[in-house]
Amino acid sequence: MKMTKIYEGSHQWIMFGRDENKPDNIVDSNQYVVRTANRCLLLDPGGSELFAPMMAAVLHHAPVEQITDLFASHQDPDVISSLGLWDQALSDAKLHAPAIWEGFLRHFGCESIEYVPIPDNGGTIKLESLELQLVPAHYLHSSGNFHVYDPQARILMSGDVGAALEGPGAPVFVDNFDAHVEKMRYFHQRWMPSNQAKRAWIERVRNLDIDILAPQHGRMFKGDDVKRFLDWFDALQVGIAV
Amino acid sequence: MTNQTKSQFIAVASITSELSAVMVVAKEISLAAANAKAIAFRAGDKAKGFQPITDFINELAKETIELVTSINVHALSLYRLTVNEYRRTGAYNRFELATKMAEGAVYAQSMQEPLEHARLSMLDCQRQFKRDVAQLLGQLEAVMHHARAARVIAANSRIEASQAGEYLQSLQAVAESVDKAAHTIHDNVQRCRIALSLYRNT
Repeated sequence: MKMTKIYEGSHQWIMFGRDENKPDNIVDSNQYVVRTANRCLLLDPGGSELFAPMMAAVLHHAPVEQITDLFASHQDPDVISSLGLWDQALSDAKLHAPAIWEGFLRHFGCESIEYVPIPDNGGTIKLESLELQLVPAHYLHSSGNFHVYDPQARILMSGDVGAALEGPGAPVFVDNFDAHVEKMRYFHQRWMPSNQAKRAWIERVRNLDIDILAPQHGRMFKGDDVKRFLDWFDALQVGIAV
Repeated sequence: MTNQTKSQFIAVASITSELSAVMVVAKEISLAAANAKAIAFRAGDKAKGFQPITDFINELAKETIELVTSINVHALSLYRLTVNEYRRTGAYNRFELATKMAEGAVYAQSMQEPLEHARLSMLDCQRQFKRDVAQLLGQLEAVMHHARAARVIAANSRIEASQAGEYLQSLQAVAESVDKAAHTIHDNVQRCRIALSLYRNT
């Protein structure tokens, strides 16, 4: 599992992904960790196949007992089917996830972890002195969907928005936006169901000061590529399967 | 999922299926008892010896139904335990793998506590599973005992039916149906016992 530190200040952001040992027939995914002095938040911690390499990778940065919070942007198995394993590994942790998915996500096993339902209009996650914003991203692609914005690090973890399905060898940052567009086009047109939802999200996100846009699959966007992505997504027609 | 886990799931699920067939048959015995009682009543003195047997048949069917209902509750609990054991064994294996992969990590040592906890939970589930299987086998033995008793009653019924003159055929049919039902119960319960006994001492 590749580990890339993408922010270091009063706290850290670390991106995990490009697992060369993952089974071939499951999609590669990016997991993110926000580390403060004594706590650790895992963003979209991944599928059950990924639990062992992910846990092993996190142990380079934090002890198990300091993994206090999990966040699931939505209910997909590549996002959170490892929940039942984290549930047995962590003794005192919370899962922040969309309120509408609670009864569904509990199928993965959630006995000891406290489910903190995120209402439709969003909320915050407090990690010691750090406050992260939960930005509504409903219907992008899931009907109950949130992204995480860190105003200090100026990072937006954007779930499936900005995603591209690539192989484990792909770089972690977009280096040529124009060439990258074709890797994203079909995914966004086919997985994202609503132009209206897309426009509402873009309007909301344009008001945020973002240095890094960090999707759950593929490469991250930094600097000017964030604006390029928003412009490209704004112009894209989605929901093409109907 | 290992082959043994798959077999364990199948064994536990098949008990419910076998027992639902036993329940149907036990209800049939109960109906046969009611039918026999009516015939014996009509036959009067000719079926005097048959009349108390019908009460035995009815009582036996009622007890079998109660027993099977109770076993079904235990079988459901055993199924939940199987799911729990599967989850805990899966977690232990993943934790063990994570511990190996984390060798050399700064905080690798912190995995020891969840690993040990997972190991103990898994062993606890396995022990409880064996205890519950032994208990269920005991209950299934009780149903077998009822089936054997039903066959004795069927034999006695045949003897009494032979004294019943023109009611002989009707009462013999009752005896046959009780005997057949007892056989079915015996065979189904025996299949449950064979499936479960594999897990008593594994």
